Amino acid sequence: MNNKRRDLIKKMTVSQQFVTQAEDNAKMDKVRRYAPLILLVIMTAIGGISQKNFFSWANIVNIMFQMSIPLVISVGLSFVLLLGSIDLSIEGNMGFAGSLVAFLVVNNSNSNNFGIFGVLIAILIGLAVGTVVGFLHTKGRIASFIVSYAVGCIMTGAAVLIYRGTPIQVKDPMFIAISQGRLFGIPYITLISFAVFIIGAIIMNYTAFGRAVFAIGDNEAAAASTGINITRTKIKVYALCGCTAAIAGVLQCMRLKLGQSNLGLNQMFPVVTAIVLGGGSVSGGKGGSLQTFVGVLIYTELANWLTLMGVDTNLKKVIQGIIIIIAVTLTVEHNRKTVVK
Amino acid sequence: MKQKKFSLSNLSQYMVVISIVLVFLVFTILNPTFISAYSLQNLLVEVSPLILLAGGLSFIIFTGGIDLGSGAMVSATCVISGLYVSRFGNWIIPIMVVIGVLLGMLNGVIVTKLKIPSFIVTLCTQNLWAFIALYFCPNGSVAVGMEYRKEITWMTSKIAGIPIIFLFAVVVVILLYIFQQYTPSGRAIFAVGANIRSTRLAGVDTDKAQIMAFVVSGACSSLAGALYAYKQKSAVPTIGDALTLSAIASIALGGTSMAGGRGSVLRTTIGVITITAITSGLNMMGVDPLWKDIIIGVILIVAVYLNSDTKGRDIIVK
Amino acid sequence: MGEVLFETKGVGKTYGSNTVLHDIDMKIHSGEVIGLIGENGAGKSTLMKLISGVETPSMGEMFYMGKPYVATSIINANKQGIGMVFQEQSLVANLTVAQNIYLGREKKYSKAGLVNWAEMNKDAKKALERVDIKLEPGKKVRDIDMATREMVEIAKVLDVVTEAAEGHAIILLDEPTTVLSDDEIQEMYVQIRKMKAAGNGIVFISHHLDEILAITDTIYVFKDGEETAVFPTAEANIDVLYEKMVGRATTGEFYVEAQQSVPSDKVVLEVDDLSLFGVFNHISFKLHEGEVLGLAGLDGSGAEDVCNCLVGQVAPTEGRILIEGKEVRFGNSYQARKAGILSVPKDRRDEGMVSILSIEDNITISSWEHMKSKGLLSGKKIRQTALKWIKEAGIKCTGPKERISQLSGGNAQKVIFARVLESGCKVLILNHPTRGVDVGAKQEIYRLVREMTAAGHAIIVIGDTLDECLGLSSNVIVFRDGLISGSFDCPVDFKPSQQEVVHFMM
Repeated sequence: MNNKRRDLIKKMTVSQQFVTQAEDNAKMDKVRRYAPLILLVIMTAIGGISQKNFFSWANIVNIMFQMSIPLVISVGLSFVLLLGSIDLSIEGNMGFAGSLVAFLVVNNSNSNNFGIFGVLIAILIGLAVGTVVGFLHTKGRIASFIVSYAVGCIMTGAAVLIYRGTPIQVKDPMFIAISQGRLFGIPYITLISFAVFIIGAIIMNYTAFGRAVFAIGDNEAAAASTGINITRTKIKVYALCGCTAAIAGVLQCMRLKLGQSNLGLNQMFPVVTAIVLGGGSVSGGKGGSLQTFVGVLIYTELANWLTLMGVDTNLKKVIQGIIIIIAVTLTVEHNRKTVVK
Repeated sequence: MKQKKFSLSNLSQYMVVISIVLVFLVFTILNPTFISAYSLQNLLVEVSPLILLAGGLSFIIFTGGIDLGSGAMVSATCVISGLYVSRFGNWIIPIMVVIGVLLGMLNGVIVTKLKIPSFIVTLCTQNLWAFIALYFCPNGSVAVGMEYRKEITWMTSKIAGIPIIFLFAVVVVILLYIFQQYTPSGRAIFAVGANIRSTRLAGVDTDKAQIMAFVVSGACSSLAGALYAYKQKSAVPTIGDALTLSAIASIALGGTSMAGGRGSVLRTTIGVITITAITSGLNMMGVDPLWKDIIIGVILIVAVYLNSDTKGRDIIVK
Repeated sequence: MGEVLFETKGVGKTYGSNTVLHDIDMKIHSGEVIGLIGENGAGKSTLMKLISGVETPSMGEMFYMGKPYVATSIINANKQGIGMVFQEQSLVANLTVAQNIYLGREKKYSKAGLVNWAEMNKDAKKALERVDIKLEPGKKVRDIDMATREMVEIAKVLDVVTEAAEGHAIILLDEPTTVLSDDEIQEMYVQIRKMKAAGNGIVFISHHLDEILAITDTIYVFKDGEETAVFPTAEANIDVLYEKMVGRATTGEFYVEAQQSVPSDKVVLEVDDLSLFGVFNHISFKLHEGEVLGLAGLDGSGAEDVCNCLVGQVAPTEGRILIEGKEVRFGNSYQARKAGILSVPKDRRDEGMVSILSIEDNITISSWEHMKSKGLLSGKKIRQTALKWIKEAGIKCTGPKERISQLSGGNAQKVIFARVLESGCKVLILNHPTRGVDVGAKQEIYRLVREMTAAGHAIIVIGDTLDECLGLSSNVIVFRDGLISGSFDCPVDFKPSQQEVVHFMM
């Protein structure tokens, strides 16, 4: 604040000061909102200068392919983070869905051949698990991190129980076809992921449910007063998150042609990092599909850099953690009367 | 006066006692060797490090927070103690306490000063602990050299039939109980969990209380890591993977409220013994150990549900 | 004025044994603007909550369009044609203007589950034009200024209620002018007149009497949850309104005035040109040993915010706080306590009591470091301290181990008084010390206050009523719009009248 403005503000009445303050905050908010986009542009520019094939179709497809699974997970998770809650069951859910689908389609360990129904069953179970998490969280009034953590552990355990030690290899022709197929050079798995993401974006932006989630995250009391059914909306969000986690698990299984609980391992944390990088807030109300997309893109480019620099997986996770803490510190609203525990 | 009715919330108070009695009764009936001296001694060795871990973690939960990375912290400290016991001998134990204090302080300072929810912070810092563990032990477990084994076997030997490692855990629990019950910081930790706003306005240094909780938990996790190194006689980078769940479930089973403000390390201790008895009992009966996480996960959910205040006032749960 | 749209007959509200609103008869006619005035806690907001469906009355009946009226929720009231613009804006900042206006009512615009935003925006534009604002309905609320938000809120409520009750809706405006400039207020009047001309009934609450006189047709005056006067605005003047608002003063005996001590010359606390941008400006005063300093002012006048600064909850943007001549700064209430300032907070449940802890813990929480023996907390000392205060303050309980949440409001408040007294702090801030406390407990609290000053404590009090503030204090400072507007000496037997003081408040 320069001195002149400071003097001016000093002379104002309190209500004028109040309004000025609110407008200043709105301006800062705008800066924060465009920061991720600016970051993305800068990173892309540096990428373009430093790597000569950066803008080649092959590299773009490669980046899109790397974005695939995170993008699918991000669909459900961004809804959950918009509420200001978290879903730690995603990894367990993914591992279970992947293991289950491997068990149900043509594979090396049994004579099942459910084909597309196997996929549907796995996804529906994911949806059911998400619903259970949402139900326990809202009706049981238990913090989401604890419920989802417990359910996640249960699902990981259940995934291992399906194959008992030796991961199942998938032999299903459909799976093999999808995992190898490409359209204009883009893998089918990537196309499916982008389609799921677009559906998610439509739900977020073009349905009353999507708006209700925004409203709850921003101001739960105000949302309740307009007649939004908070409990039902939250359960739906968790159901959606379970569903997308299961889809991600199935896609992961297609990609690796292997069904095991590890399919989900370390899959959630990068997505939290990505969403936060895109400007989503862990305290709820901030973010959106576009922001999530930008975040996933930034994250993917960043991950590529780190790989190029020879940073190992574990250190990468530490860096992700530091990024989350910095990003959350910058976006957390200190004047909000929420209790930080 | 309102008449006291038998309700779910009352049940949660006695849950831990009922369940420990039930667990021992059922397993003894199914398999009388369950309470043989040998298997009991084994149980005592088995529970000791977990008692430390869960006992320390309880304090974070008393404040209403969580540490999702406490298992990973055990891995990291187990690795450090396993590798450096050869250099420092038994001095490794106090050294680990100091390291634990520092690690816990890092969590606590980020939670309080940057005002980020603890589950986010610890979700991030657990990667740091995992990194440390794997940095020192990139190729799996490393056994303590044979020439140093002599120095560390005392921990698993027995006095009057009771393993020293268990006595060690008991001493720590007593210290934790004194901290919980007889120090201003200990009481402040509960007050923070009960209502951080009122507590702050009553002029209590709530930041300090929260940091203290993380520090105590860090020190205990770190000691637990050292105990695992003594017990396994090696540095095991994956030792903590499943421990966070067991620790949280033990705390919940003990009747400690996940929302904070209520509970006790003594209850947690009984919770740990119960959970460990369940898993080892099932093991003795030949139940596939793959069921372990599922069973503990279910116990966690049920226990948390029974402890949670479902009627409560209109507090937004996130 | 047209027919009677809405009527309350003997409506009241009680919380437990505490009556906050009693026997209200009000008639709202078509095309009428009703002004509602009264001090804080006079019951204005409670009545609004009853009409708007936030709460249900404990007694009496309400009629809307001649039929019995019951509203189970805000939405339910909206659907019947009654809507309220709340004091704290209820817009959701991360949604667009149109989405806010139709939040919870998207069905009209959905096809196959997908909402047609273009169509909604078109309707929103119309709704906004109804209050004469030109605004892109696709804009996010966080991107528009405060005054426009207020108008959007009005447009939203107007749209909801006129949909249900064209021309005979009831619109409740709870202090809609707080964030507006003079020009914007004039604009607001235009809108109110338009709504009125359309035949709706309007209730307008404001702390500014000039606004009330300018826009309303009828004025209802509330005092202590009762309706003390009703007049046509044409017959009202400011002096009469003041008189009706303050009611009759209670006797000095009630406030144990005989024991009111004369402050010494020793300055304990000095506040020097303290400002918190957007909240209050240039506040200076001195607090002496043995003094009770009353801070009077309506909600939002800045009095409470000064106290928040003094207990370290908020850091002031300018100015100094001195304790016994030494400048102190604190970032939290712990440091404030260490410096010697502790408060009895306003909201007993959320800020005062640590509900699930025992009485003894609640009493000693601010002085645990003095409860040690041999380096450890002594359970015995804690219990004895608790027993001492239970006896001295007359706390009715089963014992020191009982949970504080089991106590009645008055007894819980005494526990918190015991806490601040045990803390050893010199400066005590009593923020609404008798809120929600019955008459008997009130007197005991007043007696405690007198004992505190006799023991040399210096006290700042924000009274629950002006009467209480004057009765307890030896000096009173009056706040208005974030500034000190006046100050009064209140020696025993020569207390200023409430009318005199209230002039400076409004």
